[in-house]
Amino acid sequence: MDRMLYVAMSGAKEVMLAQANNSNNLANASTDGFKKDFNIFRAQHMEGPGQHTRTYALDERPATDYSAGAIKVTGRDLDVVTKSDGFMAIQTPKGDEAFVRTASMQVKENGDLVDVQGNPILNEAGVPINVPPYKSIAVGDDGTISFVPADGQGNQLIVLDRLRLVAPDEKQLYKGLDGFSRLREDAGELDQANISVVSGALETSNVNTAEALVEMISLSRKYELQVKMMATSKTHSQKSDSLLSVR
Amino acid sequence: MNNALYVAKTGLEAQQFRLAAISNNLANANTYGYKTGRAEFNDLIYQNVRQPGAQATQDEANTLPSGLQLGTGVKAIGVQKIHTQGNLMVTDNQLDMAVEGKGFFQALDQDGNLMYTRDGSFEVNQNGDIVTSSGYLLEPNINIPQDATDISITSDGAVYVSQPGNTQQVQVGQIELATFINPAGLESLGKNFYGETTASGAPNINNPGTAEAGSVLQGALEASNVNTVEELIGMIEAQRTYEMNSKAISAANGMMQYLNNNT
Repeated sequence: MDRMLYVAMSGAKEVMLAQANNSNNLANASTDGFKKDFNIFRAQHMEGPGQHTRTYALDERPATDYSAGAIKVTGRDLDVVTKSDGFMAIQTPKGDEAFVRTASMQVKENGDLVDVQGNPILNEAGVPINVPPYKSIAVGDDGTISFVPADGQGNQLIVLDRLRLVAPDEKQLYKGLDGFSRLREDAGELDQANISVVSGALETSNVNTAEALVEMISLSRKYELQVKMMATSKTHSQKSDSLLSVR
Repeated sequence: MNNALYVAKTGLEAQQFRLAAISNNLANANTYGYKTGRAEFNDLIYQNVRQPGAQATQDEANTLPSGLQLGTGVKAIGVQKIHTQGNLMVTDNQLDMAVEGKGFFQALDQDGNLMYTRDGSFEVNQNGDIVTSSGYLLEPNINIPQDATDISITSDGAVYVSQPGNTQQVQVGQIELATFINPAGLESLGKNFYGETTASGAPNINNPGTAEAGSVLQGALEASNVNTVEELIGMIEAQRTYEMNSKAISAANGMMQYLNNNT
Protein backbone atom coordinates (compact mmCIF):
# COMPACT_ATOMS: atom_id res chain seq x y z
CA MET A 1 0.00 0.00 0.00
CA ASP A 2 1.14 3.51 -0.67
CA ARG A 3 2.80 5.36 2.19
CA MET A 4 0.75 8.46 1.52
CA LEU A 5 -1.53 7.37 4.36
CA TYR A 6 1.42 7.32 6.76
CA VAL A 7 2.72 10.68 5.66
CA ALA A 8 -0.71 12.23 6.19
CA MET A 9 -1.02 10.47 9.52
CA SER A 10 2.27 11.92 10.71
CA GLY A 11 0.96 15.36 9.80
CA ALA A 12 -2.26 14.85 11.74
CA LYS A 13 -0.51 13.40 14.77
CA GLU A 14 2.05 16.19 15.00
CA VAL A 15 -0.64 18.86 14.58
CA MET A 16 -2.43 17.30 17.52
CA LEU A 17 0.76 17.64 19.61
CA ALA A 18 1.11 21.26 18.53
CA GLN A 19 -2.47 21.85 19.60
CA ALA A 20 -1.59 20.50 23.06
CA ASN A 21 1.33 22.94 23.26
CA ASN A 22 -0.95 25.79 22.25
CA SER A 23 -3.51 24.71 24.83
CA ASN A 24 -0.79 24.73 27.48
CA ASN A 25 0.06 28.33 26.61
CA LEU A 26 -3.61 29.22 26.81
CA ALA A 27 -4.14 27.33 30.08
CA ASN A 28 -1.32 29.38 31.61
CA ALA A 29 -2.68 32.70 30.37
CA SER A 30 -3.12 33.84 33.96
CA THR A 31 -0.06 32.23 35.52
CA ASP A 32 2.09 35.17 36.67
CA GLY A 33 5.54 35.09 35.11
CA PHE A 34 4.69 32.28 32.67
CA LYS A 35 6.63 32.41 29.40
CA LYS A 36 4.99 30.91 26.37
CA ASP A 37 6.58 28.12 24.39
CA PHE A 38 7.13 28.35 20.68
CA ASN A 39 6.07 25.57 18.44
CA ILE A 40 7.40 24.73 14.98
CA PHE A 41 7.08 21.96 12.46
CA ARG A 42 10.04 20.53 10.69
CA ALA A 43 10.22 18.39 7.59
CA GLN A 44 11.91 15.13 8.50
CA HIS A 45 13.13 13.58 5.31
CA MET A 46 13.34 9.78 5.14
CA GLU A 47 16.17 8.19 3.21
CA GLY A 48 15.30 5.08 1.28
CA PRO A 49 15.18 3.40 -2.10
CA GLY A 50 13.42 5.13 -4.96
CA GLN A 51 12.14 8.66 -5.11
CA HIS A 52 12.49 10.99 -2.15
CA THR A 53 8.79 11.26 -1.55
CA ARG A 54 8.66 10.40 2.10
CA THR A 55 8.99 13.54 4.19
CA TYR A 56 7.31 13.29 7.53
CA ALA A 57 6.31 16.21 9.73
CA LEU A 58 7.94 16.67 13.10
CA ASP A 59 6.59 19.00 15.77
CA GLU A 60 9.18 20.68 17.97
CA ARG A 61 9.41 23.12 20.83
CA PRO A 62 12.50 24.99 19.76
CA ALA A 63 12.47 27.68 22.43
CA THR A 64 10.56 29.72 24.92
CA ASP A 65 9.42 33.25 24.25
CA TYR A 66 11.05 35.34 26.99
CA SER A 67 9.47 38.61 25.96
CA ALA A 68 7.92 40.60 28.79
CA GLY A 69 4.33 40.20 29.85
CA ALA A 70 2.14 43.04 31.03
CA ILE A 71 3.00 44.62 34.37
CA LYS A 72 0.19 44.61 36.86
CA VAL A 73 0.42 46.81 39.91
CA THR A 74 -0.42 45.00 43.14
CA GLY A 75 0.86 47.47 45.74
CA ARG A 76 2.37 44.62 47.78
CA ASP A 77 5.93 45.47 48.89
CA LEU A 78 7.34 42.04 48.14
CA ASP A 79 5.92 41.63 44.63
CA VAL A 80 8.79 42.40 42.26
CA VAL A 81 9.39 42.52 38.51
CA THR A 82 12.72 42.95 36.75
CA LYS A 83 12.81 45.56 34.03
CA SER A 84 13.86 45.11 30.40
CA ASP A 85 16.03 42.05 29.81
CA GLY A 86 16.86 41.24 33.41
CA PHE A 87 16.16 38.16 35.46
CA MET A 88 16.39 37.38 39.15
CA ALA A 89 17.63 34.11 40.53
CA ILE A 90 15.80 31.57 42.63
CA GLN A 91 16.83 28.15 43.89
CA THR A 92 14.83 25.23 42.53
CA PRO A 93 13.87 22.20 44.66
CA LYS A 94 16.78 20.40 42.92
CA GLY A 95 19.13 22.94 44.50
CA ASP A 96 20.30 24.65 41.34
CA GLU A 97 19.70 28.14 40.10
CA ALA A 98 16.76 29.16 37.92
CA PHE A 99 15.81 32.54 36.51
CA VAL A 100 12.53 34.38 36.73
CA ARG A 101 11.30 37.82 35.73
CA THR A 102 8.80 38.22 38.52
CA ALA A 103 8.26 36.86 42.01
CA SER A 104 5.64 37.26 44.66
CA MET A 105 8.07 36.96 47.54
CA GLN A 106 7.12 35.75 51.00
CA VAL A 107 8.97 35.67 54.29
CA LYS A 108 8.72 32.20 55.78
CA GLU A 109 8.33 31.50 59.51
CA ASN A 110 12.10 31.11 59.82
CA GLY A 111 12.75 34.35 57.93
CA ASP A 112 13.67 32.74 54.60
CA LEU A 113 12.70 34.86 51.63
CA VAL A 114 10.94 32.56 49.15
CA ASP A 115 8.75 32.80 46.08
CA VAL A 116 5.12 31.77 46.11
CA GLN A 117 6.03 28.11 45.53
CA GLY A 118 8.51 28.20 48.41
CA ASN A 119 11.69 28.38 46.33
CA PRO A 120 14.40 30.48 48.04
CA ILE A 121 15.27 33.84 46.47
CA LEU A 122 19.01 34.18 45.93
CA ASN A 123 21.27 37.13 46.75
CA GLU A 124 24.28 38.50 44.85
CA ALA A 125 26.45 35.67 46.13
CA GLY A 126 23.90 33.04 45.08
CA VAL A 127 22.91 32.32 48.68
CA PRO A 128 19.28 32.23 49.90
CA ILE A 129 18.21 35.44 51.62
CA ASN A 130 17.08 35.44 55.25
CA VAL A 131 15.10 38.32 56.72
CA PRO A 132 15.16 39.11 60.47
CA PRO A 133 11.89 40.21 62.15
CA TYR A 134 10.91 43.52 60.60
CA LYS A 135 8.42 46.35 60.84
CA SER A 136 8.50 47.04 57.15
CA ILE A 137 10.49 45.84 54.17
CA ALA A 138 11.22 47.37 50.79
CA VAL A 139 12.94 46.39 47.56
CA GLY A 140 14.83 49.22 45.89
CA ASP A 141 15.24 49.94 42.18
CA ASP A 142 18.57 48.14 42.05
CA GLY A 143 17.28 45.08 43.92
CA THR A 144 18.53 46.17 47.32
CA ILE A 145 16.36 44.81 50.08
CA SER A 146 16.13 47.07 53.11
CA PHE A 147 14.06 46.77 56.23
CA VAL A 148 13.11 48.48 59.48
CA PRO A 149 13.91 45.99 62.26
CA ALA A 150 11.13 45.01 64.64
CA ASP A 151 12.91 46.71 67.53
CA GLY A 152 14.21 49.60 65.42
CA GLN A 153 13.49 53.24 65.99
CA GLY A 154 11.16 55.13 63.67
CA ASN A 155 11.57 54.42 60.01
CA GLN A 156 15.31 53.99 59.80
CA LEU A 157 15.93 51.53 56.97
CA ILE A 158 18.80 49.08 57.19
CA VAL A 159 20.21 47.49 54.06
CA LEU A 160 19.85 43.73 54.30
CA ASP A 161 20.90 42.17 51.04
CA ARG A 162 20.60 42.51 47.31
CA LEU A 163 18.79 40.30 44.80
CA ARG A 164 20.88 38.41 42.29
CA LEU A 165 20.05 40.19 39.06
CA VAL A 166 21.47 38.91 35.81
CA ALA A 167 21.02 39.62 32.15
CA PRO A 168 21.59 36.34 30.30
CA ASP A 169 21.16 36.21 26.57
CA GLU A 170 17.73 34.62 26.15
CA LYS A 171 19.29 32.07 23.82
CA GLN A 172 21.29 30.82 26.80
CA LEU A 173 18.13 29.94 28.69
CA TYR A 174 16.00 26.87 28.36
CA LYS A 175 12.86 25.76 30.13
CA GLY A 176 13.26 22.42 31.86
CA LEU A 177 10.66 19.72 32.29
CA ASP A 178 9.81 21.16 35.71
CA GLY A 179 8.94 24.51 34.13
CA PHE A 180 11.98 26.37 35.53
CA SER A 181 14.17 28.41 33.20
CA ARG A 182 17.82 27.63 33.62
CA LEU A 183 21.08 28.59 31.99
CA ARG A 184 22.37 26.18 29.34
CA GLU A 185 25.35 24.16 30.50
CA ASP A 186 27.71 25.70 27.97
CA ALA A 187 26.70 29.28 28.81
CA GLY A 188 29.33 29.95 31.48
CA GLU A 189 29.12 32.14 34.55
CA LEU A 190 26.86 35.16 34.73
CA ASP A 191 27.77 38.39 36.48
CA GLN A 192 25.44 40.47 38.55
CA ALA A 193 24.05 42.97 36.07
CA ASN A 194 22.83 46.52 36.24
CA ILE A 195 19.16 45.66 36.09
CA SER A 196 16.46 47.63 37.76
CA VAL A 197 13.49 46.12 39.49
CA VAL A 198 10.04 47.45 40.23
CA SER A 199 8.41 46.53 43.49
CA GLY A 200 4.68 46.48 44.13
CA ALA A 201 3.99 44.88 40.78
CA LEU A 202 3.91 41.48 39.11
CA GLU A 203 4.41 40.47 35.51
CA THR A 204 1.52 38.63 33.96
CA SER A 205 1.96 35.70 31.62
CA ASN A 206 3.19 36.75 28.17
CA VAL A 207 0.64 34.61 26.37
CA ASN A 208 -1.25 36.62 23.80
CA THR A 209 -4.64 34.97 23.96
CA ALA A 210 -5.84 36.35 20.64
CA GLU A 211 -2.75 34.97 18.94
CA ALA A 212 -3.20 31.62 20.69
CA LEU A 213 -6.82 31.52 19.57
CA VAL A 214 -5.92 32.14 15.94
CA GLU A 215 -3.18 29.53 16.20
CA MET A 216 -5.76 27.11 17.58
CA ILE A 217 -8.09 27.63 14.63
CA SER A 218 -5.23 27.40 12.19
CA LEU A 219 -4.04 24.11 13.70
CA SER A 220 -7.58 22.72 13.64
CA ARG A 221 -7.87 23.45 9.93
CA LYS A 222 -4.47 21.98 9.18
CA TYR A 223 -5.55 18.87 11.01
CA GLU A 224 -8.67 18.61 8.87
CA LEU A 225 -6.50 18.87 5.77
CA GLN A 226 -4.39 15.94 6.93
CA VAL A 227 -7.48 13.87 7.69
CA LYS A 228 -8.80 14.73 4.23
CA MET A 229 -5.54 13.40 2.77
CA MET A 230 -6.03 10.21 4.77
CA ALA A 231 -9.58 9.91 3.42
CA THR A 232 -8.32 10.54 -0.12
CA SER A 233 -5.72 7.86 0.27
CA LYS A 234 -8.48 5.49 1.36
CA THR A 235 -10.52 6.30 -1.77
CA HIS A 236 -7.44 5.71 -3.91
CA SER A 237 -6.83 2.25 -2.54
CA GLN A 238 -10.50 1.39 -2.82
CA LYS A 239 -10.40 2.44 -6.45
CA SER A 240 -7.33 0.38 -7.22
CA ASP A 241 -8.81 -2.59 -5.39
CA SER A 242 -11.93 -2.43 -7.52
CA LEU A 243 -9.89 -2.04 -10.72
CA LEU A 244 -7.93 -5.14 -9.92
CA SER A 245 -10.82 -7.20 -8.65
CA VAL A 246 -11.51 -10.35 -10.58
CA ARG A 247 -15.09 -11.02 -11.43
CA MET B 1 -5.67 10.19 23.83
CA ASN B 2 -5.79 13.83 23.02
CA ASN B 3 -3.38 15.89 25.12
CA ALA B 4 -4.90 19.23 24.19
CA LEU B 5 -8.19 18.19 25.73
CA TYR B 6 -6.69 17.52 29.16
CA VAL B 7 -4.42 20.56 29.09
CA ALA B 8 -7.37 22.83 28.32
CA LYS B 9 -9.31 21.17 31.12
CA THR B 10 -6.69 22.31 33.64
CA GLY B 11 -7.08 25.81 32.22
CA LEU B 12 -10.83 25.74 32.83
CA GLU B 13 -10.34 24.51 36.39
CA ALA B 14 -7.80 27.24 37.12
CA GLN B 15 -10.10 30.00 35.93
CA GLN B 16 -12.99 28.57 37.87
CA PHE B 17 -10.81 28.57 40.97
CA ARG B 18 -9.75 32.14 40.29
CA LEU B 19 -13.36 33.25 39.92
CA ALA B 20 -14.23 31.60 43.23
CA ALA B 21 -11.40 33.50 44.94
CA ILE B 22 -12.51 36.77 43.31
CA SER B 23 -16.14 36.18 44.29
CA ASN B 24 -15.08 35.61 47.88
CA ASN B 25 -13.14 38.89 47.86
CA LEU B 26 -16.06 40.79 46.38
CA ALA B 27 -18.47 39.21 48.83
CA ASN B 28 -16.23 40.42 51.66
CA ALA B 29 -15.63 43.89 50.27
CA ASN B 30 -17.55 45.32 53.24
CA THR B 31 -16.17 42.94 55.90
CA TYR B 32 -14.13 44.81 58.53
CA GLY B 33 -10.54 43.67 58.68
CA TYR B 34 -10.89 41.30 55.70
CA LYS B 35 -7.73 40.78 53.69
CA THR B 36 -7.98 40.18 49.99
CA GLY B 37 -6.95 36.80 48.62
CA ARG B 38 -5.09 36.38 45.36
CA ALA B 39 -5.31 33.14 43.38
CA GLU B 40 -1.85 31.90 42.44
CA PHE B 41 -1.06 29.55 39.56
CA ASN B 42 1.80 27.39 38.46
CA ASP B 43 2.55 25.67 35.20
CA LEU B 44 2.52 21.89 35.55
CA ILE B 45 5.44 19.66 34.66
CA TYR B 46 6.47 19.23 31.06
CA GLN B 47 6.30 15.93 29.26
CA ASN B 48 9.23 14.87 27.16
CA VAL B 49 7.67 13.68 23.90
CA ARG B 50 10.91 13.82 21.94
CA GLN B 51 14.30 14.27 23.53
CA PRO B 52 16.34 17.11 22.04
CA GLY B 53 19.56 15.77 20.58
CA ALA B 54 18.02 12.38 19.85
CA GLN B 55 19.04 10.56 16.71
CA ALA B 56 16.73 11.44 13.84
CA THR B 57 18.34 8.97 11.41
CA GLN B 58 21.23 6.56 11.61
CA ASP B 59 23.45 9.25 10.21
CA GLU B 60 25.16 10.60 13.31
CA ALA B 61 25.06 14.18 12.06
CA ASN B 62 21.32 14.12 11.89
CA THR B 63 20.09 14.77 15.41
CA LEU B 64 16.93 16.55 16.49
CA PRO B 65 17.91 20.13 17.27
CA SER B 66 15.19 20.95 19.73
CA GLY B 67 12.93 18.03 20.59
CA LEU B 68 9.43 18.36 21.91
CA GLN B 69 8.51 19.03 25.49
CA LEU B 70 4.80 19.39 26.00
CA GLY B 71 3.42 21.31 28.93
CA THR B 72 0.63 19.55 30.76
CA GLY B 73 -1.33 22.59 31.86
CA VAL B 74 -1.81 24.76 34.90
CA LYS B 75 -2.50 24.21 38.57
CA ALA B 76 -3.99 26.53 41.17
CA ILE B 77 -1.51 26.47 44.04
CA GLY B 78 -3.53 28.49 46.49
CA VAL B 79 -5.00 31.76 47.53
CA GLN B 80 -2.43 34.12 48.94
CA LYS B 81 -3.70 36.57 51.53
CA ILE B 82 -2.46 40.08 50.89
CA HIS B 83 -1.96 41.72 54.27
CA THR B 84 -1.81 45.35 53.24
CA GLN B 85 -3.46 47.99 55.40
CA GLY B 86 -7.15 48.54 54.74
CA ASN B 87 -8.72 52.00 54.78
CA LEU B 88 -9.51 53.40 58.20
CA MET B 89 -13.11 54.40 58.74
CA VAL B 90 -13.91 56.70 61.62
CA THR B 91 -17.00 55.49 63.45
CA ASP B 92 -16.71 57.42 66.74
CA ASN B 93 -17.88 54.29 68.53
CA GLN B 94 -15.83 54.07 71.74
CA LEU B 95 -15.10 50.37 71.46
CA ASP B 96 -14.21 50.35 67.77
CA MET B 97 -10.49 49.97 67.28
CA ALA B 98 -8.31 49.81 64.22
CA VAL B 99 -4.70 48.68 64.04
CA GLU B 100 -2.33 50.84 62.06
CA GLY B 101 0.52 48.44 61.45
CA LYS B 102 1.03 44.71 61.35
CA GLY B 103 -0.57 43.59 64.62
CA PHE B 104 -3.61 41.39 65.19
CA PHE B 105 -6.06 41.52 68.10
CA GLN B 106 -6.29 38.26 70.01
CA ALA B 107 -9.49 36.54 71.06
CA LEU B 108 -10.27 33.24 72.77
CA ASP B 109 -12.56 30.73 71.10
CA GLN B 110 -15.01 28.51 73.00
CA ASP B 111 -12.25 25.96 73.68
CA GLY B 112 -9.82 28.55 74.97
CA ASN B 113 -7.63 28.64 71.86
CA LEU B 114 -6.19 31.92 70.67
CA MET B 115 -7.48 33.39 67.42
CA TYR B 116 -6.27 36.49 65.68
CA THR B 117 -8.25 39.21 63.96
CA ARG B 118 -7.94 42.64 62.39
CA ASP B 119 -11.62 43.32 62.93
CA GLY B 120 -11.74 45.77 65.83
CA SER B 121 -15.49 46.16 66.24
CA PHE B 122 -15.60 45.23 69.91
CA GLU B 123 -18.52 45.25 72.27
CA VAL B 124 -19.15 44.62 75.94
CA ASN B 125 -20.96 41.46 77.06
CA GLN B 126 -23.33 41.04 80.00
CA ASN B 127 -20.40 40.70 82.45
CA GLY B 128 -18.73 43.85 81.23
CA ASP B 129 -15.97 41.97 79.39
CA ILE B 130 -14.80 43.28 76.03
CA VAL B 131 -15.78 40.76 73.32
CA THR B 132 -15.53 40.64 69.55
CA SER B 133 -18.70 41.22 67.53
CA SER B 134 -19.14 37.44 67.43
CA GLY B 135 -18.97 37.22 71.23
CA TYR B 136 -15.44 35.88 71.79
CA LEU B 137 -13.45 37.28 74.70
CA LEU B 138 -10.65 39.68 73.93
CA GLU B 139 -7.29 38.41 75.19
CA PRO B 140 -5.99 39.65 77.61
CA ASN B 141 -9.42 40.05 79.15
CA ILE B 142 -10.51 43.61 79.89
CA ASN B 143 -13.48 44.30 82.11
CA ILE B 144 -15.33 47.58 81.85
CA PRO B 145 -16.96 48.53 85.18
CA GLN B 146 -20.76 48.83 85.17
CA ASP B 147 -20.67 52.49 86.13
CA ALA B 148 -18.14 53.57 83.51
CA THR B 149 -19.32 56.68 81.71
CA ASP B 150 -16.58 56.97 79.17
CA ILE B 151 -13.91 54.68 77.72
CA SER B 152 -10.73 55.95 76.21
CA ILE B 153 -8.05 53.87 74.55
CA THR B 154 -4.61 55.30 73.92
CA SER B 155 -2.63 54.60 70.79
CA ASP B 156 -0.40 52.27 72.82
CA GLY B 157 -3.38 50.21 73.92
CA ALA B 158 -4.05 51.31 77.49
CA VAL B 159 -7.78 51.27 78.26
CA TYR B 160 -9.03 53.95 80.69
CA VAL B 161 -12.54 54.53 82.01
CA SER B 162 -14.17 57.53 83.64
CA GLN B 163 -16.37 56.84 86.63
CA PRO B 164 -18.81 59.13 88.41
CA GLY B 165 -17.29 60.78 91.46
CA ASN B 166 -13.75 60.25 90.26
CA THR B 167 -12.02 63.04 88.41
CA GLN B 168 -9.09 60.79 87.47
CA GLN B 169 -9.48 58.21 84.71
CA VAL B 170 -8.73 54.66 85.86
CA GLN B 171 -6.79 52.18 83.74
CA VAL B 172 -8.74 48.92 83.48
CA GLY B 173 -6.60 47.02 81.02
CA GLN B 174 -3.97 46.88 78.33
CA ILE B 175 -4.55 45.68 74.78
CA GLU B 176 -1.87 43.45 73.31
CA LEU B 177 -1.25 42.83 69.65
CA ALA B 178 0.22 39.73 68.03
CA THR B 179 2.43 39.89 64.97
CA PHE B 180 3.61 37.09 62.74
CA ILE B 181 6.72 36.89 60.64
CA ASN B 182 4.66 35.45 57.78
CA PRO B 183 1.05 36.63 58.10
CA ALA B 184 0.31 35.13 54.67
CA GLY B 185 0.80 31.73 56.30
CA LEU B 186 -2.08 32.22 58.78
CA GLU B 187 -5.04 29.93 58.43
CA SER B 188 -8.36 31.64 57.74
CA LEU B 189 -10.84 30.38 60.29
CA GLY B 190 -13.85 32.37 59.06
CA LYS B 191 -15.75 34.92 61.17
CA ASN B 192 -12.84 37.32 60.51
CA PHE B 193 -10.42 35.15 62.49
CA TYR B 194 -7.07 33.67 61.66
CA GLY B 195 -5.30 30.80 63.35
CA GLU B 196 -1.59 30.23 63.89
CA THR B 197 0.12 27.63 61.67
CA THR B 198 3.66 26.37 61.25
CA ALA B 199 3.92 28.54 58.14
CA SER B 200 2.92 31.72 59.95
CA GLY B 201 5.36 31.15 62.80
CA ALA B 202 4.64 31.74 66.47
CA PRO B 203 2.99 35.02 67.47
CA ASN B 204 5.10 37.83 68.88
CA ILE B 205 3.02 39.56 71.50
CA ASN B 206 3.70 43.19 72.19
CA ASN B 207 1.94 46.25 73.45
CA PRO B 208 0.73 48.50 70.65
CA GLY B 209 3.22 51.18 69.71
CA THR B 210 6.20 48.94 70.45
CA ALA B 211 8.18 46.69 68.11
CA GLU B 212 6.40 46.05 64.82
CA ALA B 213 2.90 45.75 66.34
CA GLY B 214 1.54 49.08 65.14
CA SER B 215 -0.69 51.45 67.04
CA VAL B 216 -4.33 51.30 68.03
CA LEU B 217 -6.79 53.90 66.85
CA GLN B 218 -9.91 54.26 68.95
CA GLY B 219 -13.21 55.10 67.27
CA ALA B 220 -12.19 53.74 63.90
CA LEU B 221 -12.45 50.46 62.02
CA GLU B 222 -10.25 48.98 59.34
CA ALA B 223 -12.22 48.36 56.17
CA SER B 224 -11.39 45.38 53.98
CA ASN B 225 -8.46 45.95 51.64
CA VAL B 226 -10.40 44.56 48.68
CA ASN B 227 -9.96 46.77 45.66
CA THR B 228 -13.26 46.26 43.89
CA VAL B 229 -12.03 47.71 40.59
CA GLU B 230 -9.12 45.30 40.55
CA GLU B 231 -11.43 42.40 41.41
CA LEU B 232 -13.82 43.30 38.61
CA ILE B 233 -10.98 43.45 36.13
CA GLY B 234 -9.79 40.08 37.41
CA MET B 235 -13.31 38.74 36.96
CA ILE B 236 -13.49 39.84 33.35
CA GLU B 237 -10.05 38.40 32.71
CA ALA B 238 -10.96 35.09 34.35
CA GLN B 239 -14.16 34.85 32.35
CA ARG B 240 -12.47 35.55 29.02
CA THR B 241 -9.63 33.15 29.71
CA TYR B 242 -12.19 30.55 30.68
CA GLU B 243 -13.97 31.08 27.38
CA MET B 244 -10.73 30.71 25.43
CA ASN B 245 -9.87 27.51 27.24
CA SER B 246 -13.30 26.13 26.54
CA LYS B 247 -12.70 27.06 22.88
CA ALA B 248 -9.53 24.98 23.06
CA ILE B 249 -11.60 22.03 24.28
CA SER B 250 -14.08 22.40 21.45
CA ALA B 251 -11.21 22.73 18.95
CA ALA B 252 -9.63 19.49 20.22
CA ASN B 253 -13.04 17.87 20.21
CA GLY B 254 -13.68 19.13 16.68
CA MET B 255 -10.42 17.59 15.50
CA MET B 256 -11.33 14.20 16.89
CA GLN B 257 -14.85 14.45 15.55
CA TYR B 258 -13.55 15.25 12.10
CA LEU B 259 -11.22 12.28 12.25
CA ASN B 260 -14.05 9.96 13.27
CA ASN B 261 -16.39 11.19 10.58
CA ASN B 262 -13.94 11.20 7.70
CA THR B 263 -11.88 8.04 7.83
